[in-house]
Amino acid sequence: MRILVVEDDELVADALTIGLGRAGFAVDRSASAEAAAAALSAEHFDLAVVDVGLPRADGLSLVRQLRGRGVTLPVLILTARDTLAVRVEALDLGADDFLQKPFAQEELVARCRALIRRANLHASGELVLGRLRIDVPGRSLAIDGQAVTLTGREWAVLECLALHAGRVVSKERLQQAIAGFEQVLTPNAVEVYVSRLRGKLAEAAAIHTVRGLGYRLDEGAA
Amino acid sequence: MAVASGSGSVPSIRRRLLLFLLPPLAALMLVGVLVNYGAAMLFVQSAYDQRLGDAAVSLGASVLVVDGRLQAAAAAPTGARHADHLVTLRYAILGPDGAVLAGTPGLPTAPVSLTANPSFADAVVGGERLRVASYRLRTTAGTAVIDVAESAAARAVPARFILAGTWLTDFIQLDVTLFIVWLGVHYGLKPLRALRAQIEAGSARELKPLDVTAVPAEVAPLVAALNMLFDILAEAARSQRRFVADTAHQLRTPIAGLLGNLELLMQEPSAAGLQPRLQGLHEGMSRLAHSANQLLALARADPSASLTVQFEEVDLRLLAGRVVERNFDRAAKAGLDLGADAAAAAVRGAPRLLEDLLGNLVDNALSYTSRGGSVTVRSGFSGGRAFLEVEDDGPGIPEGERLKVRERFYRLPGSGGHGCGLGLAIVEEIARAHGAQLYIESGAAGRGTRARVSFALTA
Repeated sequence: MRILVVEDDELVADALTIGLGRAGFAVDRSASAEAAAAALSAEHFDLAVVDVGLPRADGLSLVRQLRGRGVTLPVLILTARDTLAVRVEALDLGADDFLQKPFAQEELVARCRALIRRANLHASGELVLGRLRIDVPGRSLAIDGQAVTLTGREWAVLECLALHAGRVVSKERLQQAIAGFEQVLTPNAVEVYVSRLRGKLAEAAAIHTVRGLGYRLDEGAA
Repeated sequence: MAVASGSGSVPSIRRRLLLFLLPPLAALMLVGVLVNYGAAMLFVQSAYDQRLGDAAVSLGASVLVVDGRLQAAAAAPTGARHADHLVTLRYAILGPDGAVLAGTPGLPTAPVSLTANPSFADAVVGGERLRVASYRLRTTAGTAVIDVAESAAARAVPARFILAGTWLTDFIQLDVTLFIVWLGVHYGLKPLRALRAQIEAGSARELKPLDVTAVPAEVAPLVAALNMLFDILAEAARSQRRFVADTAHQLRTPIAGLLGNLELLMQEPSAAGLQPRLQGLHEGMSRLAHSANQLLALARADPSASLTVQFEEVDLRLLAGRVVERNFDRAAKAGLDLGADAAAAAVRGAPRLLEDLLGNLVDNALSYTSRGGSVTVRSGFSGGRAFLEVEDDGPGIPEGERLKVRERFYRLPGSGGHGCGLGLAIVEEIARAHGAQLYIESGAAGRGTRARVSFALTA
């Protein structure tokens, strides 16, 4: 997986490059929007990590330019500015995610993985989450290469959680996902299927209960 | 924030106007009364005099010339001839030599007048005030003088009546005038009341320009000056926000570079022996990053920067969800049960600031609650007011400290950790900017802390 880091501050660029490198990505770097545009048109990348504060044209203009040319490359925006306006503008322009400086390495890596995962899903219909391999259109799950059978409802819950891996999915949303299969749902229905899923996923993935909000699926410990 | 009410400008102008008008109007009333009374009395006098004079003239018929000497007719009555029932007339007929030919002796005679015959005069006889008409009759035997007198008291009745009537009408006139003036001022000042309502309705933080077209010409320059002042303040706030944003960039980028590289350094195998030192460095850097973030948040919340920041509809339930999600991993790592219990609620506010507010409350709860505890974020409506609340079952804040903790850089004695003491100061500042109140109480069952931000009643 190749990542292009677009950052003009030496120290931050170093941290990004080395950090992502250690996480298993192949990293290139550019120090300006112009250089980045050139690099992106010359070679294939799976993700771009772009700082907003670049010397001449800023990171947002780079995103605008890319989307204008129809480039679907996932983009993670980095910025020290924290106004909601910047966040909204970045996402409006077509950036996929937004991370504020200073950030933790793990956070950065997790976000990058999530973006690449989503891109792969769009491309191939396949979602890879650590040891889980989910074939969405095919509705099949494999853990460490071994197929795992799921009931229709368990699958509905897994699909919903996996598509939003790392984000909280509300109980209502999960209820809607299951509702197609059964007319009458007991109030605990979601709970039941989540716990069954937990059993089947075991250590490969973790489904966290976020009290009062919903559930979140994360990769299991490596 | 309401403009100070009570003795506002509106009643005072009215009072000033009324106090200004009262003396001259009262004086006018007095003059009016005098003039009316005087004019009326002149008329009354002349009518009564006319009658008195007629009585004197008609008595002339009783004067006869007998043998070249004047004589009064035999049975000249001592009573009145043409008197009316209310008035008793006395008369005297005097000869050329002053001898009393008939009637009451001792009656005074009015002096001769060049213009009128009979002539009139006031006199006092035996302590009684009289009005005398004296008619001079030329006869072949000399000039006879016929005096007819009536008591001045007779004229007092109509005089009193007229005076009372004049006072009454003029007094009523004065009151009605003052009332009309009062009404007029009330009506005239209506645009000012509307202006005041406009100022009080618009949040003092938003500084919306006032409508110049809706005020009278006299106040328009004042309103224009106010709008200009608002502009200056708004521009100052905008410029301060720009400064804070620029500062954010200047601070955070170097810190991100340092922290990132430090983390990578700590992962190097060759740094194994240096771990404790590097760990210490990392903690210091994290504290620095935290302080920088808090200072920036405080600067953002300060009125000098938050004035005129755009307010929008903010969904508090969604906000609660976002903040819980953002902090979930940190809570899990600290062994804390972080959850939400959010009911639907919405307020008008600045989204970023409200995120700062709730974020700080949650940050406090997570920092000071020990492993195994729980933190709950709530939103909803209570008593007509929207609220955000964070409750934990940590050590709690002693009652005596609940005010002090809101001060900048104040930390509870004995609290370890890395806080810089700005969290609740930031919350207070943001609450104030939204017209909301921060309440700090004990949590359920008297344990822990419940920090609630209660927003203003929606109009």
